[in-house]
Amino acid sequence: MITAKGLYKRYRKTVAVDHLSFDVRPGVVTGFLGPNGSGKSTTMRLMLGLDHGEGETLFDGESFTDIRRPMNKVGTLLEAKPFHPTRSARNHLRMLASANGIGDKRVDEVMELVGLATVKRKKPKGYSLGMAQRLGLAQALLGDPGILLLDEPTNGLDPHGIHWMRDMLKHLAAEGRTIFVSSHLLSEMQLMADELVVIGRGTMLFNGVVDQFVREFTQSTVVVRSPSAAAFTTALEGAGAQVAQGKDGELVVSGMEIGAVGHLAFTEHVELAELSTRSASLEEAFMSATGAAEEFVAAEPLAAVPAASAPSTHASSTSTGGADHA
Amino acid sequence: MLDALRYEWTRLTTLRSTYWLSGIGVLAALAIPVIAGFAVSDQPLDQTTAAAGLNGGAAFGIPFLAVFMAIIGIFATGHEYRHGTIQPTLTALPQRSRLILAKILVVSGVTVAVTVLSLALNALTLLIFWGDVPGLFEDPLRSALIGYVVYTLIYTLTGLGLGLLFRGVPSALVVIFLAPLIIENLIFGLSFLPAADWLVPVVRFLPFSSGARLMAVDLTAMTGPGMPDFDYFGRWGSGAVFAVFAAVVIAAAWTLFKKRDA
Repeated sequence: MITAKGLYKRYRKTVAVDHLSFDVRPGVVTGFLGPNGSGKSTTMRLMLGLDHGEGETLFDGESFTDIRRPMNKVGTLLEAKPFHPTRSARNHLRMLASANGIGDKRVDEVMELVGLATVKRKKPKGYSLGMAQRLGLAQALLGDPGILLLDEPTNGLDPHGIHWMRDMLKHLAAEGRTIFVSSHLLSEMQLMADELVVIGRGTMLFNGVVDQFVREFTQSTVVVRSPSAAAFTTALEGAGAQVAQGKDGELVVSGMEIGAVGHLAFTEHVELAELSTRSASLEEAFMSATGAAEEFVAAEPLAAVPAASAPSTHASSTSTGGADHA
Repeated sequence: MLDALRYEWTRLTTLRSTYWLSGIGVLAALAIPVIAGFAVSDQPLDQTTAAAGLNGGAAFGIPFLAVFMAIIGIFATGHEYRHGTIQPTLTALPQRSRLILAKILVVSGVTVAVTVLSLALNALTLLIFWGDVPGLFEDPLRSALIGYVVYTLIYTLTGLGLGLLFRGVPSALVVIFLAPLIIENLIFGLSFLPAADWLVPVVRFLPFSSGARLMAVDLTAMTGPGMPDFDYFGRWGSGAVFAVFAAVVIAAAWTLFKKRDA
């Protein structure tokens, strides 16, 4: 169990982390989300005592800096390549293990576990980013800890690596461990995380289960297909719903529950070919939740294109996957 | 504390640079008695020549071994920042004071061991060429040799402190080479000018120059007619000036290390 209370960090005039408090429960994967520059990495560094600030983080009731042999209790992965370039990967782990009473046998075990056994005596300067991430995970798992704190662990991993990492973290959580993991890959997080801590500009936007986050920050819609679509649109709008036409001709109804739509079709004698709900994706919820909290906002891609060469019509923005038909 | 010592020992011994830096330092120091042996072994070995042979000419030219060990000292802390290993280090060993103390103890132990090994190899070389090293275990040669070990140790710890203070390698290297070779020599030289004679009382407080007196066989060598009266401290007093300088650098670095973000 991780308990963070009142975490606060200021860099001169900028407040990077603003009184964040949250709990991370054991037995589930808790995702840590936020736009670039929202303070995720700083929060993790504050939690581990690497940065100085205000507030307190307890790992099963103990502050990180008070834990003797902390790798046996809290495993961490913060930076992609924090290795001396000429020290072998195995020796890097041996060095950290020696501070925590962990033997060489365990070092070899974790190298095997993350798939780096064949290159364990190589220098990490020759490692790809994905291999470096695996080594970072090996480092985090070295002491077989009950708590894992991972900052962007899927960065640089190929699809197999991402799948492996997801399964690994879910498996570790199922063993009752506490997993706190930040990631920008929202589709991955949707598959991996059970709970979320979402921040923007250093402040808490949401702390709870993933489904609740999606519900809270997006609107579910009802999808209707009917041979009498035009007539039913009028009826729906008359009943107070908002109706949009989908790209395949379906009606996308918001502001009305699926039961009410079905009842209206019954009372209006409208034949239906499909009646279903469409839930928003985590990405849509994330964009909705953090839209106003982005630290660094890029220009719209089309704005950079000269007017003469720009397409005459804008492509309509569409949802990016994760649509779930009920 | 034992965990921290084990960590630092493993850190130091798993770096190739530890071996080649100390190896080059030992070989550079060994070159002096070897060259002297070929050049002047037909002449009797006086104590000044013996001291120069034993410490690799540290008191006269560049203190080779001390310089290379100081680089190891700089790497002990500077490398942690240069390669970003300070993060995994502090997540494996979050008690910062314990970490620094372990670095000081392990690097000191290695420095003393390498310096004594170098002295032994150089003594063996002198024995091979001259057949005897007169007064090896008698003062002033004995004190000069002990002073050499202390000097190398303080030099190394100064490097360790500078690496931690600057949180990197290049700045620490610049300071540890510029301070003794340029800044202190400049102050020493200017003190001879009548217009800058106010520098005379400062000279005995120059840390690296004072430290070099730890290795001197003849402590009166830097005084005499035509020279300003620098009123130098004795061997151990001068050594204390160097040690206080190193202690101030380490204390400042240690304090900042505890306060700064990693």
